[in-house]
Amino acid sequence: MTIVGPMVAAIAIIAGFQVINPFFLRYQGIITLVYAMSYFLIVACGLTFVIMMGSFDFSVVSLLKLSALLCVLYIDKLGLLVIPLALLISIGIGYINGLLVVKFKVPSFMATLGVSVVVEAIAWYLSKGFLHIIYDETFRALATTFIAGLPSIFYWAMGIWIISTFIAMCTPSGRRTYAIGGNLIGAGLSGINVKRHRIYVFMLCSFFAGLAGVLYMAQMGGGSMEIGGADLAVAVFASVVAGGTALTGGVGGPHRTLLGVIIITWIQAGMLMLAMGRDIQMVTFGLIAVGMSIATIDRRRIKIIK
Amino acid sequence: MKIVGRNKLITPVIFQTLKTHPVILALIALFVIFSGLYPERFLTPLNLSSILKQFVELMLFALGPSIVLVIGSLDLSFVGIWMLGGILVWLLMPILGMFSILVIPLLGLATGLLIGVIQVKVKIPSFILTLGLLVAYWGLTAVLSGGYPRSVRQYAFITARLIPYLPTAFLWSIPIIIVAVFIIKCTRIGTYLYAIGSNEEGAHLAGINVDKYRILTFTLSGLFTGIGLIILFPHLGCTAPIELKLNNVILPLVAIVLGGTPLVGGSGGPQRTILGALTLAVVYRGLYLSLLHPATIQLLVGLLLIISIVVSTRGLKGVTIT
Amino acid sequence: MVTPMDASLLEVKGVSKTFDGVVHALDDVSIAVRQNEIVGVVGENGAGKSTLMKILVGVYSPDKGELYYRGRKVPFPYNPKEAAKRGISIVYQEKGVIPHLKVYQFLFLGYEDKYVKFSRLQIDKMKKRASQILEELRVKCDVEDFMYELPLSAQKMVEIARAILSVRLERTDADITPIIILDEPTAPLTVEESRELSSDILDMKKNASFIFVSHIIPEVMEFTDRVHVLRDGKLVAHYDLSKEKITEEDLFRAIVGRESSEYIYKPEVKKVVSEEVVLTVKNLTKNGCYYDISFDLHKSECIGIFGPAGSGKSEIIKTIAGLISFEGGVLIVKGQEVKADELPHVRLARGIGYFSGETGKELFLNWPIVKNISIVNIEKILRKFIPVISFNAEKKMAEKIMKKMRIRAPSINTDCYSLSGGSKQKVSVGKWFERSPDIFLLEDPTIGIDVGAREDIYETTLEMKKSGISMILISDDPKEYFILCDKIMLVKDGRIQKVLSPDEFRKVMAA
Repeated sequence: MTIVGPMVAAIAIIAGFQVINPFFLRYQGIITLVYAMSYFLIVACGLTFVIMMGSFDFSVVSLLKLSALLCVLYIDKLGLLVIPLALLISIGIGYINGLLVVKFKVPSFMATLGVSVVVEAIAWYLSKGFLHIIYDETFRALATTFIAGLPSIFYWAMGIWIISTFIAMCTPSGRRTYAIGGNLIGAGLSGINVKRHRIYVFMLCSFFAGLAGVLYMAQMGGGSMEIGGADLAVAVFASVVAGGTALTGGVGGPHRTLLGVIIITWIQAGMLMLAMGRDIQMVTFGLIAVGMSIATIDRRRIKIIK
Repeated sequence: MKIVGRNKLITPVIFQTLKTHPVILALIALFVIFSGLYPERFLTPLNLSSILKQFVELMLFALGPSIVLVIGSLDLSFVGIWMLGGILVWLLMPILGMFSILVIPLLGLATGLLIGVIQVKVKIPSFILTLGLLVAYWGLTAVLSGGYPRSVRQYAFITARLIPYLPTAFLWSIPIIIVAVFIIKCTRIGTYLYAIGSNEEGAHLAGINVDKYRILTFTLSGLFTGIGLIILFPHLGCTAPIELKLNNVILPLVAIVLGGTPLVGGSGGPQRTILGALTLAVVYRGLYLSLLHPATIQLLVGLLLIISIVVSTRGLKGVTIT
Repeated sequence: MVTPMDASLLEVKGVSKTFDGVVHALDDVSIAVRQNEIVGVVGENGAGKSTLMKILVGVYSPDKGELYYRGRKVPFPYNPKEAAKRGISIVYQEKGVIPHLKVYQFLFLGYEDKYVKFSRLQIDKMKKRASQILEELRVKCDVEDFMYELPLSAQKMVEIARAILSVRLERTDADITPIIILDEPTAPLTVEESRELSSDILDMKKNASFIFVSHIIPEVMEFTDRVHVLRDGKLVAHYDLSKEKITEEDLFRAIVGRESSEYIYKPEVKKVVSEEVVLTVKNLTKNGCYYDISFDLHKSECIGIFGPAGSGKSEIIKTIAGLISFEGGVLIVKGQEVKADELPHVRLARGIGYFSGETGKELFLNWPIVKNISIVNIEKILRKFIPVISFNAEKKMAEKIMKKMRIRAPSINTDCYSLSGGSKQKVSVGKWFERSPDIFLLEDPTIGIDVGAREDIYETTLEMKKSGISMILISDDPKEYFILCDKIMLVKDGRIQKVLSPDEFRKVMAA
């Protein structure tokens, strides 16, 4: 699938909403959108790498939640050290994901689903279900400092996106990720340490999820077990495939995911504007996810689909 | 050439069964452990009755997906059928009266058919397809319900107490389970499904219309889920939920994997899931009695899912996992 | 090509089949099977044999063609069951077995209707009938066993039993003579089992006909009454072995399409084998595949491993490549002993590159040519100070290789999917040429590609050899061995039978 499709879709959506509500792109609206898009983009970039590789990571949203909650729960005791804590834990869980898939041969969907359940349980236990608020100004400034009219989290997101795209397109590491997604055996025969690399990619994805969680907490200033959830997971997945990164692996990339994120978050904003509830949003994203998966799957490669 | 014979003696047969169904050992062990830990609370008729109730919930949800897993595909739509089905019953009650519960098996049938046809025509992996459908049904439920969980109390009689301490739902579930196991084990359809799950290309070469049976499998899954829901709906409180609890989707899957049905298909099935569901029910009740924090129980469920898959895939050599 | 029609039982005329509108699998092929005879259908891999057989059994439907049964025109079967009614059934070369089914279930798969009562399978009856036919064919296994539990040879025998049983169950009247298609049946069998099978088939010849598909010349010559030769989807020769005096050479020539005098072509560059040993294999063993394989590979030397299907040659080369682990023996690469379960990328780091001509095996089909060439040569295209890909260097490398290999494609950015078979092979060989591994393993390098591409690949391979690269070759084309190899090892049943020089090999092949 070429980049033209998602691009046209993105432009059409932006234009469409502009027509419906000319005040859509006012400053306030833009800020809201940026806040919605930024942490989303970070998670989606991480997930993109896993899908490029031909695997799946269902635990990203749970990791985001855990990471965010770790920040808010321990910032009083640890100060800004919560950030490396959250990130390290995320990377560790990513390692576990990788291990389960590579060493124990558990299908990635199931492995990350299981891990997601465990992570959610931990988050629940730690947060005890309450709502927690952050009072530390330095922490909040990470995401909410305004530079040139836009909140700092936007620059974080853009930075991550640029780095992701760079890694995918211009580094041997990125090439290897595509290779593994394109032909698992061929990748090994081409000199790639497939097992090790797959674990790295899972770790990278979880790292991004954790980072997104930290920034999300900085942005929101508080949270509970309500963060994330199945609808966010569907939306993130939808944005990756909507951008053109196929489930069969080996194609797409973070540069595409930006388009997908734009499409999804704008649709979300537009639906909110049209007073469509969370439920319809979720149905829409679910359908987009399924539809785009169908459209992007490389049928030449997979003869037997289960 | 190797000569493999089968003894007709009892002891080797039991040994053989245990070897192929290790979950039986787990079931017995766990039962003994929990009885030992909480003798006054675990071995009571009330608790055993609760175990059976939990079993019914797990088993009837897992029945459809068990069949689908035989061909190596995944069906996650069952909770969606529950939610949407429940709401449809509530909506149709004023019009169809007591017959409105029949809309659930119809919905199950239609859902299964839809999934099967889409899978065959568009060739999208089943887990994404059924997951998407689950989400879509959830959304539809939310829309149709107006945001509130709706109850339809009129069906409570289905699971009203008949025999003390034996859940009526359990009694009703027995024929359904038997029919499912019969289809899988004693009919041609079952053989063909195992063939497709074991070697789809080989099945095709043998003349089996793989597409047709794929559609049939998903349709059966939806149908069994729908019929099972006639019992589950009152069993679970006569209410159509509007929140999607991940547990409802995962626990039946754990039951299936625990029972010994591999995710790649070709073996296992509903008869195995019976054991898995029973074991999981024992575990769940045991943990519940232990008064562990619900979060901890949740954690153990997740770990159980992972561990049981790891253990069941250990037998698979040379299979590439993505 | 006209084949005799007298007393013919089954005849196909003018069958053509294309896949995706591009690949001409079969082009106007006609074959005939007579009563009580064994007909051979031979050809190289990709010649169209399997496709033709699948059409006969109803798995594929032909684009063009006619079918005659005892002189009467009949429609082509549209599924295997229909074919079985006509008495036609098949034993597949591979993928025919369903591992998780029990023996009796597999025997009856697709033909259970005789044993169904109120949708319930009459399992006891089925098991009884299953035992009967297994006994008849002297297959030693229990009907309750799972197929995966049986050794490969037993599995093959069960497949044969199934083919015979299906015809017996389905045929609508006793007048129908079974026509059993055997696709490379002897591959997993031991010598003794092959002999038993041969005698069983000769026995059954009294009231059945067989189509014997193979690409192994000696077997075909020994076994069949008449032979049809397919090449590139066309019927190129037909021999009546009972009437005509045909040598293996004739058959070989018909299959491969080249004059044996071309064996004489042997470029001088081959004589550069050095004394230095780069690879030592000692008593390498893997149960079920190969036993006690020992040889030394010298620098600039090319060793060929030749043998029929199932001889273990493929497993040996895959083991050296790191795709399969070995169980016994020692493998020493450039003086270092290597572990049995090393992965391919570690082998590559040691200098062993593996190339398979089988499409899609090691090529990234959804990638453009340029990326396929660079992935194995990543170190060469990185920028000077930072480990980042230089697109310019990448482009230049790809252009250089494309020119050298004379790859016919619009640009280096063309997806490999859309390339012809020969071009795909050239991309693979080209990338390895650039990489220059110390040891280059080739498996079926020129399978199914045209003569021109073959010549280009041979040229490049010989150039690599001259520059110091050692090679091991596995192929089904004896001529290739002659052109490329300094030494040829014959393997059968997993053991080395003989080591020959190219001249000796040529004599053996022509005999």
